[in-house]
Amino acid sequence: MKAVGARLPRYDGIEHVTGRTVFVDDVRVSGMLWAKALRSPVHSAAIKGLDTSKAEAMPGVHAVVTWKDVPLLEYGHLSALGIPADEPLLAKDDVRYKGQPIAIVAAEDEETASAAVEAIALDLDERTPLFDIRRAFDDDAPQIHHWGNWYPHFENEMDRRQIRKGSIAEAFDKADTIVQGVYRPAAIEHVPLETQVALVVPEANGRLTIYSCTQALYFSLGVVAAHLQVPLNKLKVVGGTVGGGFGGKVDTATETMTSLLAQKSGRPVKWRWTREEEFLCSSTRAPWHMEVADAVTKDGWILGRKMLTLHDSGAYARFSPYGLTKHSFHHTGAYTIPNLEFDGFVVFTNRVPTTAMRGFGVTSVSFATELHMTRIANELGLDPYEVRLKNANRVGDTSPNRIVYTDPSTVAVVKALAGGMDVELAPEYAAMTRDQREGDLLPEHLVGQLGNPEDH
Amino acid sequence: MAIKSGRGIAAIEYPTGMNQNGDPSQAWIKMKPDGRIDVFAGTSDIGNGSKTIQSQIVAETIGVPYDWITYDNSNTDSSPVCTGTFASRATFVAGKAVEKAAERVRERILEIAGKELEIDPSDLEIVDGEVLAKGAPQKKIGVPDVAGAATWTYGELITGDGAQLKPYAAIVDPETGEVDLPPHSAISYAACAAEVEVDDETGVVTVTRLVQVYDVGRALNPTLVEGQIEGGAVQGLGLGVLENCYPYYPSAEHRGGQFGSYLAPGFEDLPKIDTIIIENPSSDGPYGAKGIGEMANNAQPPAIAAAVFDAVGVWVTELPVTPERVLRALEAKAEPAREGRKVVFDSELSVNAVSQGGMRFEVPA
Repeated sequence: MKAVGARLPRYDGIEHVTGRTVFVDDVRVSGMLWAKALRSPVHSAAIKGLDTSKAEAMPGVHAVVTWKDVPLLEYGHLSALGIPADEPLLAKDDVRYKGQPIAIVAAEDEETASAAVEAIALDLDERTPLFDIRRAFDDDAPQIHHWGNWYPHFENEMDRRQIRKGSIAEAFDKADTIVQGVYRPAAIEHVPLETQVALVVPEANGRLTIYSCTQALYFSLGVVAAHLQVPLNKLKVVGGTVGGGFGGKVDTATETMTSLLAQKSGRPVKWRWTREEEFLCSSTRAPWHMEVADAVTKDGWILGRKMLTLHDSGAYARFSPYGLTKHSFHHTGAYTIPNLEFDGFVVFTNRVPTTAMRGFGVTSVSFATELHMTRIANELGLDPYEVRLKNANRVGDTSPNRIVYTDPSTVAVVKALAGGMDVELAPEYAAMTRDQREGDLLPEHLVGQLGNPEDH
Repeated sequence: MAIKSGRGIAAIEYPTGMNQNGDPSQAWIKMKPDGRIDVFAGTSDIGNGSKTIQSQIVAETIGVPYDWITYDNSNTDSSPVCTGTFASRATFVAGKAVEKAAERVRERILEIAGKELEIDPSDLEIVDGEVLAKGAPQKKIGVPDVAGAATWTYGELITGDGAQLKPYAAIVDPETGEVDLPPHSAISYAACAAEVEVDDETGVVTVTRLVQVYDVGRALNPTLVEGQIEGGAVQGLGLGVLENCYPYYPSAEHRGGQFGSYLAPGFEDLPKIDTIIIENPSSDGPYGAKGIGEMANNAQPPAIAAAVFDAVGVWVTELPVTPERVLRALEAKAEPAREGRKVVFDSELSVNAVSQGGMRFEVPA
C-alpha cells in the first residue's frame, strides 16, 4: 500500500492515549535531588545584595547556584543570525521582570528546596517599571535596558526593521480613500500540559545526560554547551517527545540551570515548574501594537500601505528581532500591494520576555491586515470576498522584499471558502485564477512591481 | 436586548521553514538484517505528528510497509542535527532530509538486489517490500532477503544519510528590506469564515461555526493534517475571544496563574468546524507537502472580529474580543474620524494619543 497520503495511525498514538508515553517528569533516577528557583518578586530593581550562605548551610541542601557559577552568563540564542546576547542566565546586577530567576537550589525534596529559597537574603532597590510600549520612546520614560528601550542591532545597527517599496507618496496621492486603524492582539500563554521541566544526570565519565522537554534538541544542546563552555560531546540531550510546546519550549528554560546544579552537587537534579510558574514566569506570545493606513481606490484596489509595528518584547530580546523581521516580510498578507513603507520596533518592557508561539510574528500581522481588509470592504461598500480576490497575489507578483511569487493560492482558497459558505461570487470573480496578470487584473499601479517567475 | 448573528472572513499566507532559512535538518537510516528499518532524526515531536509523517516518507520512498519503520528521535548521541520543531518546518525541511536519506537506502537495496538477481539495479524497483525486475515482476527478491545477503554474504551495512539546508537569505538592503534569495521554503495559504452569535446585553461572543480552507501542498496524512487544522482552530478561538495574559494590558497586574483564572478554550467552547483541504503541491517539499502547523491559528481571530462587526456593528480591534470590550464598544458607538479622504479608526489607541512625542505615526493626507 502507499504510505504517503494514507490515513495511517499515529506512530505514538497508543502510548499517548493509554498514558504510557514517558515524559521527562516520568523519569526517576536514584539519588535524585529537586530544584527550586529564587525569582524576582518585583518588576524592576537593582540588586544590592544576594547572600545564599544560610540556604547553603541548611540540612538537605546540596547546591545553590547564582550568576557567579555560570561560565558564560549571557549567550545569544540567535547569535548566528547576528542577534547579540542581552539576557543573563541568572540575574546579576538587576532584575527586569517579576519572576526572573536569581538563584537556584538543589535539595533532597521540593519542600526543602523551597525553604532554602526562602532563606536566601536578597536586597533590592526597586525602580519604576515600563509597561506601555507606546511610551517607551519618550524622554521621560523609565530607561530599562542597557541597549535603550528598543532593540538597536538590526543590520547596519539600525534601530528598526524597515521595508520600503515603490512610492508611498504617489500611492496616497492617487487614493480615493485612506483607511487607517490600530490593532492590538494580546499576550497569551502557551499552556502546555507538560510544564517546563528538566532532569540532569551527571555520569561517571563526566558527561551530563539532560532529559529535556525542548522542541529543538540540537538548539538546546548548543545553548547549554555555550553557557557551560563545554564541547558538544560532553552533553547528551534526551527528549524528542514533548507534552505540548507551541513555541514556548524553544527557550531552553530549565536545562542549563539544572545542569549547573547537577555539576555542582554531583547528583542527578530535576527541576519541574509548577503550573503557576508556567503561567506567570514562562515566556508568552508577545503583545503587538500595529497601525495600518491603506491608500485605496473606490473600486477596491489597494495602492499602498504605511504601517508601524511596536513589538512588546518583554525584558530581553530572545527571539523578538527574528519575529519582527518575519512579521515585516509578511505585512502585505496574501495580497500584492506595490507601494509600502513599514517601520517596526522591538520594544523592551518589564514583563516576562516573550518568545516564539505558533504563527510567530505573523499571527499578529494577519489579524491586523485581515481585519483592516474587512474594514476597507465595508467602508467602500464592496464584497469582502471580492476585494480579497481582486488584490490577491498572483504568479509573477513580488513580495515586500521583492521575491517573485511562483505558486500563490490566495485565489484558490478564497474561492473555495466562498463555495464552503454557499456565497455566490460575481462571474468575473468566480472565473479568477492565480495566473499571471493581464487585462483588467493588470492595472497601471501593478505593472512596475512585476517580476519574472522563472527567476525563482 | 438580543442575540445577534454575524459572519466574517479572512485569508492568510504563511512561510514554511525558518524566516531567511539557514536551518539544517539531517537524518540517517540503517537497515536490520531482516529488512526492518531504523530512522534516526533529531526532530522533536511536540504533538505535531512528525514521528508519523517522517516514518511514512521513509516507507514510501524505500517502498516498504509503514510498520517496518522504527523511528528514533530520542537523543543527540544517535540522532543528527535538526534545528527544531518550529517555523512549520518539521514536515517540509526535516521530512526532506529523511526523504533524501531513504533514497540512498533504496539505492543501496537495489545495488545488492542487482547482484543477487544478476540484473542491473536501474532495471529494478521496490514495491511493498519486494525488489522486482521492471517489466518482469516474476524475477524478484524480498527486501528482507536483500538485507540478509548484505549482512551475511557481502559483509555490508545498508545505510543512508540525508540533509536539507536552504542557504541563509541575507537582507541585502536594510533600508528597503530586499533579500538576495527566497527567505522561506514554501508559502502556504488558508482562508477562514467565522459565524458568531453576540449577546448585546452581556457582550458574550459565541463562535458557532468555523469553515476553513487550507492549501497544504499535499496531505501526507489527511488525519494528521486535519488534526493540525482543527487544533489550530481551537487556539485561534482562544486568541480571538478568550485568552489574555494581561487582562488590563499594558498593566502587568491581575495575571491568571491557574487554569481557573486563565481562560484557555475547553471542549464546551468548540464550534462546528468544517475543513476543506486543497492540494497545490510545492515544488520542493517532500511529496509536494507544505508546512501548515503554525498558520492554523492565524485566520480565526480576524474572521471572528469581522463577524462581531457584522453582528453588532462595532469594531473590536484589541484581542481577545471579551464581553467587556464588546459592551464598551456598544456603549461608545465610536465612529471613525473622517477628514477629507481619510477615514481614521481607533485614534484613541494610537501612539499619537499616548506617546509624549517620542513616537508618531504620520500618514500622508
